[in-house]
Amino acid sequence: MANRWDAIVVGGGHNGLVAAAYLARAGKRVVVLERRERVGGAAVSEEAFPGFRFSVFSYVVSLLRPEIIRDLDLPRHGLHILPLESTLTPLPNGDYLAQWNDHDRNRRELARHSLRDAEAYDEFGRTLHQMGRAMKPLLGLVPPDPASWRPRDLAGLARLGRHFRALGPAQFHALHKLATMSAADYLDEWFEGEALKGTKAASGIIGTLHGPRSPGTAYVLLHHYMGELDGVFRAWGFAKGGNGSVSEAIAGAARAFGAEVRTGAAVAQVLVANGRATGVTLESGEEIRAEVVLSNADPRRTFLDLVGERHLPAEFVEALGRFRFRGASAKVNLALDELPNFACMPGRGPHLRGAISISPSVDYLERAFDEAKYGEFSRRPYLDIVIPSMIDPDMAPPGKHVMSIFVQYAPYHLAGGWTDARREALGDAVVDTLAEYAPNVRRAILHRQVVTPADIERLVGISEGNIFHGELTLQQLFFLRPVPAWARYRTPIEGLYQCGSGTHPGGGVMGAPGRLAALEILRR
Amino acid sequence: MLRFTPFHPRVAALCQSHAWRRWAGYVVASSYELSHEREYHAIRAAAALIDVSPLYKYRVHGRDADRLLDRVVTREVRRSAPGDVLYTPWCDAAGKLLDDGTIARLDERTFRLTAAEPNLRWLQDNALGLEVAIEDVSDSVAALALQGPNARVILEAACETDLGGLRYFKQAAVRLRGSPLLVSRTGYTGDLGYELWLEPGDALAVWDALIEAGTPFGLTPAGMLALDVARIEAGLPLIDVDYVPANRALIAGQTSSPYELDLAWAVKLDKPFFVGRDALAREAQRPPEWRFAGIEVDWPSFERLFAAVGLAPRVPSVAWRTSVPLYAEGAQVGYATSGVWSPLLKRYIALAHLRGRWGSPGAAVEIEVTVEHQRKRAGATVVTKPFFDPARKRA
Amino acid sequence: MSAATVVIGAGADELVAAHLVARAGHRVVVLAQGIAPRPTVGWIPPALARALELDRHGLRVATDDPWAVAPLAGGGRLELWQSAERSAASIARVSPRDAARWPAFCDRMARLARFLESVYQAPPPDPTGTGAGAITELARLAWRARRLGRASLTDLLRVLPMPVADLLDDWFENDALKGLLAASAVAGLRHGPRAAGTAFALLDRQVGNRPGVFRPPRSNAAQVLGTLPGIELAGDARAVRIAVRAGRVAAVVLADGTEIAAEHVLSGLDPRRTLLELVEPGWLDPDTIRAVRSIRARGVVAEIEVNAADPGLAMPLVVAPSLDYLERAADAAKYGAVSPEPLLVVRPVAAARLAVELQYAPYSLAGGRWDERRRDGLAHTAIDLLRRSLPAGAGAFEVGAVRTPLDLETERGWPEAQAAHAELALDQVLWMRPTPALARYRTPIHGLYLCGPALHPGPAAPGAAGAHAARALLGATALRPR
Repeated sequence: MANRWDAIVVGGGHNGLVAAAYLARAGKRVVVLERRERVGGAAVSEEAFPGFRFSVFSYVVSLLRPEIIRDLDLPRHGLHILPLESTLTPLPNGDYLAQWNDHDRNRRELARHSLRDAEAYDEFGRTLHQMGRAMKPLLGLVPPDPASWRPRDLAGLARLGRHFRALGPAQFHALHKLATMSAADYLDEWFEGEALKGTKAASGIIGTLHGPRSPGTAYVLLHHYMGELDGVFRAWGFAKGGNGSVSEAIAGAARAFGAEVRTGAAVAQVLVANGRATGVTLESGEEIRAEVVLSNADPRRTFLDLVGERHLPAEFVEALGRFRFRGASAKVNLALDELPNFACMPGRGPHLRGAISISPSVDYLERAFDEAKYGEFSRRPYLDIVIPSMIDPDMAPPGKHVMSIFVQYAPYHLAGGWTDARREALGDAVVDTLAEYAPNVRRAILHRQVVTPADIERLVGISEGNIFHGELTLQQLFFLRPVPAWARYRTPIEGLYQCGSGTHPGGGVMGAPGRLAALEILRR
Repeated sequence: MLRFTPFHPRVAALCQSHAWRRWAGYVVASSYELSHEREYHAIRAAAALIDVSPLYKYRVHGRDADRLLDRVVTREVRRSAPGDVLYTPWCDAAGKLLDDGTIARLDERTFRLTAAEPNLRWLQDNALGLEVAIEDVSDSVAALALQGPNARVILEAACETDLGGLRYFKQAAVRLRGSPLLVSRTGYTGDLGYELWLEPGDALAVWDALIEAGTPFGLTPAGMLALDVARIEAGLPLIDVDYVPANRALIAGQTSSPYELDLAWAVKLDKPFFVGRDALAREAQRPPEWRFAGIEVDWPSFERLFAAVGLAPRVPSVAWRTSVPLYAEGAQVGYATSGVWSPLLKRYIALAHLRGRWGSPGAAVEIEVTVEHQRKRAGATVVTKPFFDPARKRA
Repeated sequence: MSAATVVIGAGADELVAAHLVARAGHRVVVLAQGIAPRPTVGWIPPALARALELDRHGLRVATDDPWAVAPLAGGGRLELWQSAERSAASIARVSPRDAARWPAFCDRMARLARFLESVYQAPPPDPTGTGAGAITELARLAWRARRLGRASLTDLLRVLPMPVADLLDDWFENDALKGLLAASAVAGLRHGPRAAGTAFALLDRQVGNRPGVFRPPRSNAAQVLGTLPGIELAGDARAVRIAVRAGRVAAVVLADGTEIAAEHVLSGLDPRRTLLELVEPGWLDPDTIRAVRSIRARGVVAEIEVNAADPGLAMPLVVAPSLDYLERAADAAKYGAVSPEPLLVVRPVAAARLAVELQYAPYSLAGGRWDERRRDGLAHTAIDLLRRSLPAGAGAFEVGAVRTPLDLETERGWPEAQAAHAELALDQVLWMRPTPALARYRTPIHGLYLCGPALHPGPAAPGAAGAHAARALLGATALRPR
């Protein structure tokens, strides 16, 4: 009996949708099976309270690959990325640090705090630009296996070696530093101002249970910088309609190529026979067969829940046990009756159309981390705040606003667990922190939604609520992600592939894993 | 958001064109009148008054001030005397230009350095082990350029002093209707001219005094467009247009050494140490790969290109700053980075980078010209700079 | 008097370099900087010991056995021995499961450490070098790595960037065992066990040791080297300035004003002191200066001598009951404070006298200096913790000499009290140690070379950096006509 489908994609997260679109574009018959009633996984927009649309989980588009935007013609399917113009860092003493897109304006503001930093900033930007370019090829290739003798791997290693050597000594050494140092140490070499260092360091801790002084966080800083890189493609901004519109656009493209996308179709199991994937079983009992199964779920969910240990080699399972998740981020989404009024920059100004970062110093972030190390959430957390309704008024009723707050640290393994009371306590800590800088915010809150790592796991299915489907640390990146020797989207089960953020090149709303997985399948 | 110079109230009142542009985060006038032409002619025929306050300026003071500057720049500073002014580039450790500017010695231990870009961090990082204080005085020193054949008589009238003794590239202290200021016989136009360095609080008084003293002599406020034409005639390179500073270059090929900018005369290799010295010493042993020279477009061949489509030739009166290819023997041998029609010299001139022997004066090359949307080539000749060098500049 | 090769410092690296250069026919003067000789900590590569015939001249290497002892809550001890089997037996008393995994753990770590040993015995390769020599070195490194086989190569690439806490959590369950091993990993580092790169530090401590041993051996190598003929060793001579002419070293000036004409200078002092304090200012470009200034040292140790009434203590005693304990101790140091519950390592120095090494007392204090009050505070913290960690009736302790981080810097020449001169971190190893421009032992000043633990291979193999530096010096010399 011929399979009705060439490929099944388990999970309708943005990577799965990207994979489906590329496969369908190549003429394959693809079906995407999503448990929830909407696609997108952690890139969704929901009207949590009537009239107020939230990007419940991920809330900015930062790293969406330009080749995906082009290949799938996402703008035609509704993707519209609006720029975020600035970052405001309010300071406890009533002052602030603002970073603007305009070069002159930005320099003048930096010079207000430190002439040296204002001068160093351009060179810093240039270095990160060059480093981003140096790393960029790695985002688009399948990681070669350094222990393999296969010609394809040897050729890949040789190419990588040539690429890095061709950078020349200055850039090679700079890359070595960025790959191994802590964000704090790296920034100390460039800048003296605490507010600037704190705000920059914050992008080194996103999604990790590490502090800015932890070695390895400079790499995460670079990872987040890469969205700046693509010139006019400038994929760093806010998607009109919230992050859900990114997923909807990709789903639209997939459907336009002929893929079918089913929601409300939860997959219970991958069917395995003789070491081969033959299809899936839904929770409803329905069986669907296909040549190839791609899983957009994280590695633990994929292999331990959907496949089952018994089908997998023992060393694989053991190595998977060492792949760490340790979610550390939470979201607080607010429906507001009025705009927040920041004491350091009163009124309705352009700063409200950008990001507001509560990261007044490196030590502030580090202390927030210290609390989380031992199983507590940060009393005074790092907050990354955007007000989507200022950029896209359709997100809230006229005159009202939505506020999206990304919070760290909120460790998945909280002492005593994430009870309802603890969830609310986290929400309170966030509001208390924000109120220190914008006192009117308490009375402005109409509704509050708090999403803890436990909620992320429960709602979207990501193990331990780690937004990257697994920590972005060197020991589990590249050819080690998620398991050494299995970083090529293939799995020990013939015909089963992984296409989520738990594979190279990792997380963020990038789409790269989905695309690379699809291309790997098409290659055969 | 953007800043105004101390002269802004006067400039704004006179800026009929509303043609503003940005310079180092300041707003300055591209031209005052609807066209820049009269302002340019004033530079060459009478005198022009140009607000150059956005220059970065540093006060370097202390026992080791001259040692610091000698570590940084390629020219010899130590032997300068109070009242001397030097023009000099400075480089990174690979011998590639970071910036260029002037150094004026105010006294034994005090210097003023001007630059196009911020340099505080660079100066500070070079000062290890030296007894020297570096102060960024960019915002606390206002600056005006007074350039043109009548510049001296105007200044003498305004200061009620004889300035005949103020030689080329020298500086003196004067009082202008009660406002103290420093006057250096320097400028960016390649003409007789002075630059005035003064307190921001005195800016408007000095401006008014100069306008009053200078109007009978044809003094005209001039904007950046006029200045651009004059500086190309003078053969003077402009940062970010004619060269990319090494600390902004994304690839090595974008950088330039002083040798590649016709600044070999400014490199004193026998100084025991300055940043980039070793690299430059090595480079000096080879002929330069690139040379920076003047280009004069051959009028008849240029005219023919337009005539072929039934048009009169169109020359740019506003200087262009794009990159225009230069060819010889069928291949591209260089590129011009600044070009303009010189109303004074009645020639179409450009500043260009040329490979090897093609940078020698007299070399015949071709310059790309777009005529009615088609790319054509006109003949051009490589010439030495400056294009315009009047005796009055140094007299 | 012809110009000499002047060696500044008289540690193992400096003396190895001195002898190798002297053997090549140069006159070598060694300035000991008035620093009292100390035992050499670390593994002397056998090839080096042979080349200098150290065994014949009385080299004695001592290892601690047991190499670590942890007091257990509720009495008893956990002991780790030179013999992996003996350690397994001790571990079995607290966790049979961990004891069962111990042999495999030792084996895996030992394989990786052997790889490091081979890397340490050669100068660091230059990954961007284009010459035939550079390519050969790189190829050799790659070949050695691949010969590890799939399992070990994967291990290496995973383990190097890992936090030691994660590594130990992967293998073991018992807190005391993990604390004990982690204490070795973080020795001398400002980081706690959750910091990336600390697993590499654990491997570094394995270098030169038997499997399952993570504490460096001690020897009298420097002392033996000091007695070998061929060099002029001036114990009290202190260099204060390196004179430079036309970009070349010209002379070394001593504290008493004497000038020694120098054709070459080889400094074992830390790079910051050598290049930013000793070398006349004005010869280095800002990028070099910035890079040297950025070398991280960040020492966090203090030493307290204690007179013990009952010297029958099992040692070296390590107070580090768990990973979290160490992590909390490290937290304080991050903010410039002394940890109230620090890591302690206690060893005997003489009859009834113990040396207590207290870790996570940062050299750089937030808002304060290392004054008398803080010195006393250290002593109290150490004694207090010692009493609480040991079984009742362990005897009385009396504080002797206290060396704060500042004292260690002054007395031993450890910059910021960092014995390794430059923090052992993944961005300060191999071709990055201490900076890319200085990693091949040369400096921008012609004739000035660097050695010491701040150069590859670092503190694990004293003497090796000296040998590499000497070869760099002689290699350069060989090209110049004499």
